[in-house]
Amino acid sequence: MIQAIGSRLFSSLLVIVGSLALVFCIFYLLPGDPVLSMVDPTTVSPEVVENLREQLGLNRPFHERLLAYFGDMLTGDFGRSLVGSEPVLPKILHQVPSTLLLTAASALVAIVVGVTLGVLSAVRKGGIIDLLARIVGLFGISMPTFWSGILLILIFSVQLKWLPAMGSDGFETLILPALALGFVGAGSIVRMVRGSMLDVLNEPFVTTLRAKGLRERLIQIKHVLRNALIPAVTLIGMQIGDMLAGTVIIETVFSRQGIGRILADAIMAKDLPVVQGIVFFTAIVYVGINLLVDLSYAAIDPRIRRKGART
Amino acid sequence: MKTSAGAARRGAWRGRAGLAQAETSVRSGKRLRFASSDILIGLAGIALVFLVLCALFPSWIAPYSPTEMNTAAILQAPSAAHLFGTDYFGRDVFSLIVHGTRDSLLIGASSVIVGVLIGATLGSVAGYVGGRLDAVIMRVMDVLLTVPGILLALTIAAALGPGLRNIVLAIAISSVPGYARVMRGQIMAIRGRGYVFASRAIGAKPSFILTKHVLPNSAAPLLVMATLGLGSSILAGAGLSFLGLGVLKEIPDWGALLSQGRGYLTVAWWICTFPGLAITLFVLSINLIGDRWRDAVDPKRKGRA
Amino acid sequence: MKKRFKPAYAFGAFALALTTVLAGCGSSSNSEATAQAASGSDTATASAPVQGGDFTYALATSPDTLDPRRSGLAVSVRVFGALYDTLLVRNADGSLGPSLATEWEQSDDGLSYTLKLKEGVKFQDGTPFNAEAVKYNFDSIIDPETKAANALALLRPYKSSEVVDEYTIKLNLETASQAFLGNLSQGMLSIVSPTAAKEKGEDFGKNPIGTGPFKFVSWSENAEIKLERNPDYAWGSGEAKNTGAAYLDNLTFKIVPEEATRIGGVQSGQVLAAETVPPQNIVALESDPNTQLFKTNTIGLPYTLFFNLEKKPWDELKARQAVQLAVDVDTIVKTLYLGTYERAWSSLTPGILGYDESLEGKISPNLEKANALLDELGWVKGADGIREKDGQKLTLHYVDGSPNREKRNDIAAMIREQLKAIGVETEVEITQDIATVVFQNWDYDLYGNSQVNADPNALSAFYHSTKEGERRTLNGLSDPEVDKWLEEAGVEKDDAKRIELYKKVQQYISDQALILPIYVFPYTVAAAKSVQGLAFDPFGYPIFNDVYLSK
Repeated sequence: MIQAIGSRLFSSLLVIVGSLALVFCIFYLLPGDPVLSMVDPTTVSPEVVENLREQLGLNRPFHERLLAYFGDMLTGDFGRSLVGSEPVLPKILHQVPSTLLLTAASALVAIVVGVTLGVLSAVRKGGIIDLLARIVGLFGISMPTFWSGILLILIFSVQLKWLPAMGSDGFETLILPALALGFVGAGSIVRMVRGSMLDVLNEPFVTTLRAKGLRERLIQIKHVLRNALIPAVTLIGMQIGDMLAGTVIIETVFSRQGIGRILADAIMAKDLPVVQGIVFFTAIVYVGINLLVDLSYAAIDPRIRRKGART
Repeated sequence: MKTSAGAARRGAWRGRAGLAQAETSVRSGKRLRFASSDILIGLAGIALVFLVLCALFPSWIAPYSPTEMNTAAILQAPSAAHLFGTDYFGRDVFSLIVHGTRDSLLIGASSVIVGVLIGATLGSVAGYVGGRLDAVIMRVMDVLLTVPGILLALTIAAALGPGLRNIVLAIAISSVPGYARVMRGQIMAIRGRGYVFASRAIGAKPSFILTKHVLPNSAAPLLVMATLGLGSSILAGAGLSFLGLGVLKEIPDWGALLSQGRGYLTVAWWICTFPGLAITLFVLSINLIGDRWRDAVDPKRKGRA
Repeated sequence: MKKRFKPAYAFGAFALALTTVLAGCGSSSNSEATAQAASGSDTATASAPVQGGDFTYALATSPDTLDPRRSGLAVSVRVFGALYDTLLVRNADGSLGPSLATEWEQSDDGLSYTLKLKEGVKFQDGTPFNAEAVKYNFDSIIDPETKAANALALLRPYKSSEVVDEYTIKLNLETASQAFLGNLSQGMLSIVSPTAAKEKGEDFGKNPIGTGPFKFVSWSENAEIKLERNPDYAWGSGEAKNTGAAYLDNLTFKIVPEEATRIGGVQSGQVLAAETVPPQNIVALESDPNTQLFKTNTIGLPYTLFFNLEKKPWDELKARQAVQLAVDVDTIVKTLYLGTYERAWSSLTPGILGYDESLEGKISPNLEKANALLDELGWVKGADGIREKDGQKLTLHYVDGSPNREKRNDIAAMIREQLKAIGVETEVEITQDIATVVFQNWDYDLYGNSQVNADPNALSAFYHSTKEGERRTLNGLSDPEVDKWLEEAGVEKDDAKRIELYKKVQQYISDQALILPIYVFPYTVAAAKSVQGLAFDPFGYPIFNDVYLSK
């Protein structure tokens, strides 16, 4: 077990280094010049552009730049943004809490709504609640988030004036974006939980329990739900990683602070140091979530524990 | 949807999760269905047939030319003359949606095909050969999964220039790891089954085993997953349009229509509401039918039915 | 003989106050407010300004840096106006007025300016403003170490400064330039605190110190920039009626890129004002009793589509003329902007020195003539309606940027549709990377651009020929006659003669069909009814010192 975790940690490290190298290569191959997006090309002379390029080390060969990048990173230096020339690390760290908060809130929405509806719909299979839950689930995974986000703003901010349309200060500003983002996750979770609840309800052990005369409600909650949630854990883990990525769009729609928005801006501006910094962060989160999911899975299911960590 | 590529990837994940679900349902024996479900499937089928007809013969269905800009009749609300109203150029929104079906479905279908081809190949090689090659391929897949899909898509579009082809490629590449992982899992599971052992024991060549036993048995789940991925890819394309990566075509796809019309939501709700509904309708229908198909293709289920 | 400008203070202040009021009432030439805004101003004159309050102002994009020397974005200048002062200000009538500089004179050879500076001005860090400070500012802009952006272009041809005494400075130029003095009124040449700039270095842009009516408090990226009242402020230029400390306690800029969210923020009361209101919302907001709308047409170069003269067949006058005659600019501007934008006629906007009114209405769509011109050139319509010559299709490669700023992509879509009528196939390329496609590869037939500028010398950067090694212009025009006109106009001290020269240039540009002028950009702001005294300078930048919030 410990050996498995050790090898898992090592491969996680490899993945993080690999993703940084991949991003570096993509940016190296990109046509275009980051300097040109830093200045107004109609007013600035070519010599200024050349000077800037020299100062930023953009004229050096590929391997030198790559080595210099990893070297600096080992010492904790993530470089400075090409656009605002501020240090990358504080810039990102400042934005991380907002993004994590949104991700966590969305995950909460997704889990609470998803599991509740999923269970209700399985228990009341064939009824109105089931139909409604399935429709909610289907719409959740069928609507573009930017569209549902704008609809939420129009309804709850502009028309009803209940909730703020933008910003990232305070609990109120979190509600609408978390709903927009969480709705999608809820859609998947409803479907997952409903399906596995139904499967477990038909397992022989449930029939046995019924035969023993246990109350139906008790069977559903104590035995069936617990078993049904096992596959849902995996899905929820993936959903969280996915929501982190989803912040790129949602943060833009709701004008929230966060690394998603910074990432979109940085890519447009070809601001490699900032993009690298964010990739480093998301890679850690992603790898961390995967590790947790696998470990919890292994803890729950003895068959997997025997085989060691999955990849 | 979430992010462009995130959605495509989620499609893959959902498919994977769905497989787990299908497999567990196999263990469980008879599963009841209700009548409302069949009605929904029927409606979804009709919707899909209609949308495919729109994609194939748009000019038979659309009452107006999608490019005609009637500047004397801009921003008109839905009426008998213009079923879904007119947009800010004075184009008929219904005709635009009908004509936009082809590219929308094309983005979805081609990105899924490319994603599945690459993903399934990598996944089966990794799963069948195993060992070091497996480790290398799956690490690369992990790297691809770790780099935010939106970053991949944005940089691919930035590197290759704008265009439908590059949007497709961006969505496809970010969905590859999902397909690869599922395919690998399938191959490994089947490789360990009794009949494969038996086949190997009687001296069958690996290529024979792969084509005769392994691929046929693992193809069905992947196809189901691809069907569900179709919806996700369309959502992903819409997300890329939102972030400004769309293509300015004469006949915009649904995602582009939705994204371009969103600024008019308060003054002319119909411009972006109907394309949004078109996307939702399509993805919804695909999901309904995909779900049903997923249940139906499971080999063990089939045997019992 | 030396020319000496010494403004008559009493009269100057009165005239400025008057223009500000007029601007509020919507009768000034380039500043116009809607009925709601005008009625708002009426109540403003009736009630005394209220001290205190927090003003939130939603920006559409984020400033790049708050260091004016290093900034390249117009949105930053909206914040500079609150944080900093400039040496001069541009009045609504286009003339120059005093600010941190009280008097100025030009040497006979035009190679130097001597400026008298205002005394008693202090930076927000307590250090004094003086001639040394100005010298430091300008010298640091031309120092490559600073990596100055637009400020460098505006300051050119500045060479050096001589501190004559504490409050007198002599600025030396490489060559004479009539645009130089006017550029000193641009926000990018705002004066920063030398002490703070030296101490903070590259981080000054996140810790700005100026002499303006508001002090910097904090900047959380992609969210907001917080400023607070500078209680010591007592040296307003008169651009705002209030020359003392601001009425507002706090001024917060929120960064809200998504249109629907920004406008929704004003309607839901989450912010008090939001900039860049889309035309469709302008129309809707005009009938909203809870909001007022401000609109200021910007000056400089209008949004203009430039033909690339190095691409065939657009090097031929007749081909360009055919497009000029086929594109119905009126319909485009009316359809897309719903009557909220004015169409442009010339290479300059109205309201700038030398603008040639005679070009207005000179060109009207004429498909027959356009078709005839292409026929003359030997382009024949094929089966698909697209013209061909020697097996080549007649295509126009139209490049535009993403996102769809000011509906520029929609202009492309309409032009594509209109040019079909004369058998031209338009390939529209929308790219995120204008810098590479346009300014590095020059791979376009038609590309649009605009520039906010107060001096017609802005034309030089777009139409003067360029030497080897210099960045070429968008047209790639090289005509010695135009060069001569532009060079003469650049140093000519007699305004009447300058105007003549610039009119010649504009007429030439129009006759040669080098460009398609499309629209004049109005800077628009939607604000809650409680916002009083908000005004804009001729560049469209907000002036915050008169703003107060009525109860």
